[in-house]
Amino acid sequence: MNLRWRHLRNELWKLFGKKRTYIGFGAFVLAQNAMLLVFRFTRWQADMERMLEGNGYLALEYVSALTVALIMLIPQILLLMPLYAALVGGDLVAKEVEDGTLRMILSRPISRFRLLAVKWAAGVIFSAMLVLVLGGTALLFARVWFPWKGMFVFVPGAVFNVLSAGEGLKLYFCSHLLMTLNSSVVLGIAFMFSCFNMKPAAATILALSLLFVNLVLEGIPFFERYHDYLLTYHFHAWRHVFSQPLPWSQIGQSVCVLLAVNLTTFLIGAAAFQARDIKS
Amino acid sequence: MGAKPVIQLKHLSKKFGPRLAVDDLTLDVPAGEIYGLLGHNGAGKSTAIGMMLGQVWPTSGEVRICGHDVTAHRRVALQRVGAIFEGPAFYDYLSGGRNLEILSSYTAPTPRQRIQEVIEWVGLKGREDSKVRTYSHGMRARLALAQALLPQPELLILDEPSDGLDPEGIHEMRQTILRLHRDLGLTILLSSHFLNEVEQLCTRIAVLNQGRKVFEGSLASTKQRKAWTRLKAGDFPLAVKELRQAQLITQERDGHLISLSAGVGTDQIVRLLVERGIPVYEIAPVEEALEDFYLSLMNGQREAK
Repeated sequence: MNLRWRHLRNELWKLFGKKRTYIGFGAFVLAQNAMLLVFRFTRWQADMERMLEGNGYLALEYVSALTVALIMLIPQILLLMPLYAALVGGDLVAKEVEDGTLRMILSRPISRFRLLAVKWAAGVIFSAMLVLVLGGTALLFARVWFPWKGMFVFVPGAVFNVLSAGEGLKLYFCSHLLMTLNSSVVLGIAFMFSCFNMKPAAATILALSLLFVNLVLEGIPFFERYHDYLLTYHFHAWRHVFSQPLPWSQIGQSVCVLLAVNLTTFLIGAAAFQARDIKS
Repeated sequence: MGAKPVIQLKHLSKKFGPRLAVDDLTLDVPAGEIYGLLGHNGAGKSTAIGMMLGQVWPTSGEVRICGHDVTAHRRVALQRVGAIFEGPAFYDYLSGGRNLEILSSYTAPTPRQRIQEVIEWVGLKGREDSKVRTYSHGMRARLALAQALLPQPELLILDEPSDGLDPEGIHEMRQTILRLHRDLGLTILLSSHFLNEVEQLCTRIAVLNQGRKVFEGSLASTKQRKAWTRLKAGDFPLAVKELRQAQLITQERDGHLISLSAGVGTDQIVRLLVERGIPVYEIAPVEEALEDFYLSLMNGQREAK
């Protein structure tokens, strides 16, 4: 096996061997089931049917597993996903420094850049798995309580669309690819901070603070003209996938910005890590 | 000292902000030696080791390991180097075997058979599949040794390897170090503040104080620096007075130690004292322990300030 793949496999062992890695997955499953119970046993369903019928659609056709799964995703993508991606990203380097294992690794003839690149790749794989499990379980649990029918997407002020089940599933999958990008950006920011001389918790908190600042600025009307500069604005690309017609340029711009942020945070982290002295 | 140096430090300095942690350190560790790096906490030993392993960037100077510059060619320089640090850290949630597999991959792909060999060599056979969190201090130390041996090193760097071990573990570690030196012919750099450990293991030592090298030489030379002779006589102060008058001794201390003048033998001392009617019960040369040497060196440094 190629040495790079071996390193990547080792990083994945380290990452997925830890119990705390699974906290995020567990929290998602709990949150999803709690939300499903609310959807199923409150007035939510009746309100949804009224909204659809008010717009001329046959409500029963669109109150479905796909619709519910997507509705469940929104708060989780906004709150839980960044939290867990930042938690793991903040741990990737800083926790190894704190535990002393990094000193052991760096007594070996491996370049710091390669070590970081492998760690970052393992982090991105974790991000992808986090998002895919999030989307998969949301759909699975929703299917237990709701039928497999057409999809209704409604994000106030952004998207209103109705889709067939097949089309909806396809777009649901595409939206998860973009959410993976969001997740990797959050992880990348925490990873960058974790390359500096700080505790893992500090790296996580700094990354989350940066996101919250973006989110707050985005919510202030004065900053509307500066939305292009805000990360959280570009994080919305996943929901544009459901818009009709598809805003390709907007999605493309956001993808480019997010990829650039990923590259930049990695390079800043790598430069900081390269310059650092690793001591006990 | 004809052997080619495995570690060469040339005018090495390291500053952390305004603090000079290592100051103009020049050191040669010849192949095949067990070389002791001595100094109290904060003397700069770990920083010097960090620079040898490319973990700490030197402010100035040069570090060469196995003939290669560590700063410029770290990968080649560290290819045949193993290291153990104080309180070795592992991925506690993984097994010992998996830890070795992970750590060995950072040097080169290591066959499973080699990992098994090393596990057997350090005496961890049968426990390699247990999680490291279930290991005792002694077992962790053995695992640390195993990971250091995996790349079939020529040089072993041991930074306080006995720290945190019980007396049995310390004894075991010493025996292992001697075995590694004897059986595998490794060059070993041992940083320690256990003076008796250094005394039992090392052939050469360097002493650091506040980042500066204050002594370098063979262990034997530390014992020859000031030879004291123990004298048990009927009246020690009178004996000293007579011996001084006869210019047979230069110094006395602690009420039972004398330092003979150059070329004077113990027979002359005994003869003079017996002639003066002072009974002599015992006279024997005292070998200065490393601890005495170290303490007198440090006191000398303090007084020189």
